[in-house]
Amino acid sequence: MTCALVPGVPALLPAYASIEDPVADLRAACLAVVGALGPKVRVVAFSESGARVARHLLDAVGAEEVTDGQAPVLVVANGSAKRAPTAPGHFDERAEAFDDDLRRALLEPLPTALGAIDAQLADEMWADVAAIRTLGDLLAPGDRAEVGYDDAPYGVQYWVVRWV
Amino acid sequence: MTLRLGRRSFADDATLMMAIVNRTPDSFYDRGATWAEDAAFERVAAVVEQGAEIVDIGGIKAAPGEEISAGEEKDRVVDFVARVRASYPSLVISVDTWRAEVGAAACAAGADVLNDAWGGADPELVDVAAEHDAAIVCTHTGGVTPRTRPFRVEYDDVVAAAIGDTVAYAERALAAGVARESIVIDPAHDFGKNTFHSLEVTRRLGEMVATGWPVLVSLSNKDFVGETLGLPVGERLVGTLAATAVCALAGARIYRVHEVVEARQAVDMVWSIAGRRPPRRAIRGLA
Repeated sequence: MTCALVPGVPALLPAYASIEDPVADLRAACLAVVGALGPKVRVVAFSESGARVARHLLDAVGAEEVTDGQAPVLVVANGSAKRAPTAPGHFDERAEAFDDDLRRALLEPLPTALGAIDAQLADEMWADVAAIRTLGDLLAPGDRAEVGYDDAPYGVQYWVVRWV
Repeated sequence: MTLRLGRRSFADDATLMMAIVNRTPDSFYDRGATWAEDAAFERVAAVVEQGAEIVDIGGIKAAPGEEISAGEEKDRVVDFVARVRASYPSLVISVDTWRAEVGAAACAAGADVLNDAWGGADPELVDVAAEHDAAIVCTHTGGVTPRTRPFRVEYDDVVAAAIGDTVAYAERALAAGVARESIVIDPAHDFGKNTFHSLEVTRRLGEMVATGWPVLVSLSNKDFVGETLGLPVGERLVGTLAATAVCALAGARIYRVHEVVEARQAVDMVWSIAGRRPPRRAIRGLA
């Protein structure tokens, strides 16, 4: 099944638009990956901002949100928000290793690892990973990940990935 | 309403900085600093670099003083307008004059706006604006003679008078053939007004904005700021910016200023507070 991952970054929302887009590259990557999912998309997002971002991205590419279990899936989640002293959650020395493990599990992919993320550690890392566990059910070991974005420009780890 | 100032049009939500450029030896603020043509030209370059959308070139100081003939005023202004136009093809050039004869020559040299600070003292100025498809600024002076100071002026309601006169002037410009989108009104702080009048006009500027005509305010370093704070020329920037902020919140569109950078920051900040302008770059709490 086709699925994609984007981060639930509120700066992507029109209500929070700036004159100079602080997330221009991320936005472009999100639109490309969501646009490639097709006209009907199922959304898996557990945070309020994540759900809003998903709705906005679907609107922006003209896609419709459906609950059909067979539809391509858009998962909204991100890594740690403690990657730098200027990060929302300040710096935590465990954050980079946490994100490295998560990156490997996403990109290999390792469905079992994705389904078994340490929830307490994720909370401590301010990582929005609840929706990623769903990927453990959706992905198979042979799926190929196409990475559209992999960076932590504001101390929060974002990935934009599409699996085919 | 979209605003068109000669060769340039501006969106409904745009605010504009009109930088004062004096070709005078005796204006109150700069005291002749840009009297020499090259100095005035350097001032134009500086304010363009600072982001001013408009330069307002004037050849006669507003206060009483030596009589300046129309010929002398043209000598000071017209060739200079042509020089600025040649160097800045898309800059909006305004000329601060009440005389139709001077306005016509300035428009022929490339001016976009006739800023009549004296409330239509020369009835033919609107015809010049129409003929050259220039914009016109319609100010309120209470009917005083150009270059006179207010003396014991009384109004039943200064804001009603300002609205009545400027809107009547605007309608007269429209009837003369000036494009509707090229007519601006200005309550003209300190012109025909004491400090209490100028403070009230500032406080109630929203009533002028509500007329629908785009509003210009000229507040910069004026005596109503100085008297209110007890400060001389040269120490009025903070007071100017406070008044600027109040006018911006009310929705003024054009700001005639000495200090472009400071006024632009004040107006942008207020415009964003009012929800009319996005922040430059907001990521705090949104990453």
